[in-house]
Amino acid sequence: MKSLVKTGYRPVDSVADEGSGRRWSFLEKLLLGLTLREYLRQAVRNPLNWILGALFAVGFPLIIYRFIFGLGVVTHSSNDYPWGLFLGFGLFVMVPLSASGFLMGTTVELFGRKDFKPILRIALLNGLLGYFFAVVYLLCDLGQPWRLPYPMVVAWGTAAVLFLVGWHVATYLTVQILEVSEAFFEWAQWPMAKQFIKKMTIGLTIAGIILSTLHQGALGALFTYAPSKVHPLWYSQEFLWIFFFVSSIFGGLCMVIVVSSIVKKTMFWRADEAFRENLDRLTIGLARGSSMALITYLTIKLLGIAHDNEWAYLATGWGQWFSFELLFGVIAPMVLFAYGIRNQRVGIVRFGALIAVLGIALNRLNTAIIAFNWNLYQEIPHIFEWIIAFTLFGLYIATYRFILYRLPIVYSWKKVPVEAYAKATEKVHSHGAVAQPSTVSREMR
Amino acid sequence: MSKMTRRKFLSVSLAGAAAGTFTLSGKAIGAAGFTGYPDGMGVLVDLTRCIGCRTCEAACNEEQKLPAPAVPFDDHSVFDELHHGGTQKRRTDENAFTVVNRYEAGKEGQPAYRKIQCNHCNEPACLTSCFVNAYTKTKEGAVIYNSKVCVGCRNCMVACPFRIPAYSYSSAFNPVIRKCIFCYDTRLKFGRPPACVEACPQEVLTFGHRKNLIKVAYERIRVNPGRYVGHLYGENEVGGTSWMYLSGVPFEEVGFDTTLQKEPILANAQAFLSNVPMVLSIWPALFLGFHRLATRGGEGAEEKPATEKREDI
Amino acid sequence: MSEHGPGIGQNLPGAGRRGGPVNRRKIMKPFNWIAGSVMVLMVICLPLSGQGDTLKLPETVTLDNLAHLYGGAEFDHDMHLDIAADCTECHHHAAGVPTTNEKCARCHGPEDTLEAQTCQTCHAVDPFSAEAVTAKETDPSVYHIDKPGLKAAYHLNCLNCHNEMGGPVGCEDCHERTEAGDAFYHSGKYAPSGEGTSSAH
Repeated sequence: MKSLVKTGYRPVDSVADEGSGRRWSFLEKLLLGLTLREYLRQAVRNPLNWILGALFAVGFPLIIYRFIFGLGVVTHSSNDYPWGLFLGFGLFVMVPLSASGFLMGTTVELFGRKDFKPILRIALLNGLLGYFFAVVYLLCDLGQPWRLPYPMVVAWGTAAVLFLVGWHVATYLTVQILEVSEAFFEWAQWPMAKQFIKKMTIGLTIAGIILSTLHQGALGALFTYAPSKVHPLWYSQEFLWIFFFVSSIFGGLCMVIVVSSIVKKTMFWRADEAFRENLDRLTIGLARGSSMALITYLTIKLLGIAHDNEWAYLATGWGQWFSFELLFGVIAPMVLFAYGIRNQRVGIVRFGALIAVLGIALNRLNTAIIAFNWNLYQEIPHIFEWIIAFTLFGLYIATYRFILYRLPIVYSWKKVPVEAYAKATEKVHSHGAVAQPSTVSREMR
Repeated sequence: MSKMTRRKFLSVSLAGAAAGTFTLSGKAIGAAGFTGYPDGMGVLVDLTRCIGCRTCEAACNEEQKLPAPAVPFDDHSVFDELHHGGTQKRRTDENAFTVVNRYEAGKEGQPAYRKIQCNHCNEPACLTSCFVNAYTKTKEGAVIYNSKVCVGCRNCMVACPFRIPAYSYSSAFNPVIRKCIFCYDTRLKFGRPPACVEACPQEVLTFGHRKNLIKVAYERIRVNPGRYVGHLYGENEVGGTSWMYLSGVPFEEVGFDTTLQKEPILANAQAFLSNVPMVLSIWPALFLGFHRLATRGGEGAEEKPATEKREDI
Repeated sequence: MSEHGPGIGQNLPGAGRRGGPVNRRKIMKPFNWIAGSVMVLMVICLPLSGQGDTLKLPETVTLDNLAHLYGGAEFDHDMHLDIAADCTECHHHAAGVPTTNEKCARCHGPEDTLEAQTCQTCHAVDPFSAEAVTAKETDPSVYHIDKPGLKAAYHLNCLNCHNEMGGPVGCEDCHERTEAGDAFYHSGKYAPSGEGTSSAH
């Protein structure tokens, strides 16, 4: 793509071709204004596609294998570790990294920090995709995934924290789809639908805060059901849900820094002026916010140890592992952020954010798998389980990129003069009905 | 934005509020400190009597129509089985609802044995962790399971402090939780003891009303000084269990988790659950207030052009 | 006594005290075992067909009535007479010999004999039937609320003593397993061919 852009190509970013005023068809928009051949050629040139292709070639058959022959063939069927990588990584890591949606929504829409607008949509998209893929991982892990709606419609286990998680993830996913759909409606040119969503913005944002506060915490509270299984250093009856909630704040923000950095590195052709010019400044801003959450998190983590008087555990091997998690995942990013913010070194900040993201992942994996059953034995997931987990993550990356390429997430949909817009709409109404079948039939031949 | 927004907001948050309300009612159930049905039955397991004959395993296998075992039930080599890098003795699984293990902890060089199965908690963690209410604590004391609504999230397995429920991972289309159900369908419902109790030659297992078994247990401790460690395991652990244990050797030496809390597991989640109504009721007003403050304040002027730009497509 | 027979020594019926045995006999339904098909043994102590004044002791006793999973056990009463210190080792206070267990002796004097010396006079064949459980737990006149059933009374008493005295302790040392028993234990010709299930996870 980058090389294409160098040769003067401009990806679709408006209703109609600027030169001719011709309105882009849906297919053209999908192919970013390239012909199919051009599109495929650039896709083949991209090394990431080869990596993903190889991963999918192995992973997709395994996923099919799993659904035909059951979980037993791709996992160790452990009764001691009922939750493996699909939930330990897929759900418990993806969800806190997706807190960005409600955080930036709150910042921009509720607190009126319109200066963060250029990265609002990527934060919303990051939230949506993270949640969506957490559910995909969940579907892969559930014994009877087709019964996922049961807690909504068939049987209510109202005393369960998981009941709350289920309801909130489901409703919040809906909220996020609505939030991101604004960008889709711009791209697909459904102005009425976009207006409709826009009117709901504040409501959606507040619903987002409520649902997120509760279920980010609820994921932590889930482990209070296993007091004898989670290592005491990672367990806290009173604080576990606060740990999960507070860490999701910097987790979400840092994930936005990481993703936007990747966009800057690999997809800057897609970004518009507002994004390009503001990104570094906003990255520092996000890091400031993250720093506050990191400090809070560190404080309550130590408070948690003090509260349960677990200092003695710090001298054990588990204590070292715990200290490493805090040093690497919390204190290191704090130091890097402090240095980076003071000296306006965005690169350092980005590196710090990456470490914070990895730190969150480590914390969740520790709670769900590594320090879980600490007094039993350590389960190493089946090789197929790893491959499927990576495949779904690859699918997440591919979907992420697919949407970033097309929808106005890091660029804004070009304004078209009213007359031109009206003309274009007219054209499509008469044109679309005829043009669409002909395109299809041409392809069929 | 005002009127329309608020109405939309209300409708959107309705679902969340609904979920929250359900959770509240659930919490109320848990908060009562349920200690089991007064006429619940139970089993007193006296480990000092167990000779490791595995007849209970065979009886369970027959009664529950479980698949044939890998080795005969009179084969005692299973006591030497160690799994997971030589660290774990046998546990219950989808084809074995009860398992006897041998421990080198007995008095005077004698081995000690321990039978495990579902302990049928008074307030079961599996039940309270289940988001589709698949579990039921019957008035007879059994904790039974409805496979028809089970989604297969396996949270009950995470929650069970005794690591009892197992999953039929081998099934692709109808995997279910498998565990001891106190022979509820075939026996307990009709007032009869479970198959293992009836089969045990040594009466390691005494069947009766839970509240009477507690008396029997303490009577045994009282009149046999030195025979038992002075603790009835399951009387108070995680809120009490229908199956309770007496042992002649310290419980931790025969594989029991002696660090379990006295309160039911559900009590742990209450710190969190009690925040749910607060967040649900305070957050909307609080954040709407923040919004008013933030957007009507100093930044109002700056906001306007930005909004305008957004309005048009 | 308390060392050999856990529970048994203390669990003597209130024999001789009027009321106790009568109640017990009422609740004892000897054929309840039919329902519980896994019941291992039932006994018929050949009656102490004592005619006249001399007490006639049986030479052997066949413990075989149920004989479902295991065949009957031949109990050499004569031989055990020689080994046991006295009758109270097995018959508690009921055989006309003063009990040596001081706890039992508090209530049961030497005159406290029963006419029938069979084990099942006191130890129920089906100790956990709904009726038995209810009677035991609700009848205030029942003192021995923790009395083993018949099968347990045998095994607890015999095995404990055999363990101490070095007697045979294997199941089939005393009674041969039946074919039904082999099927029950998945043993012998019913042994699994290899691809059974294992509790590895």
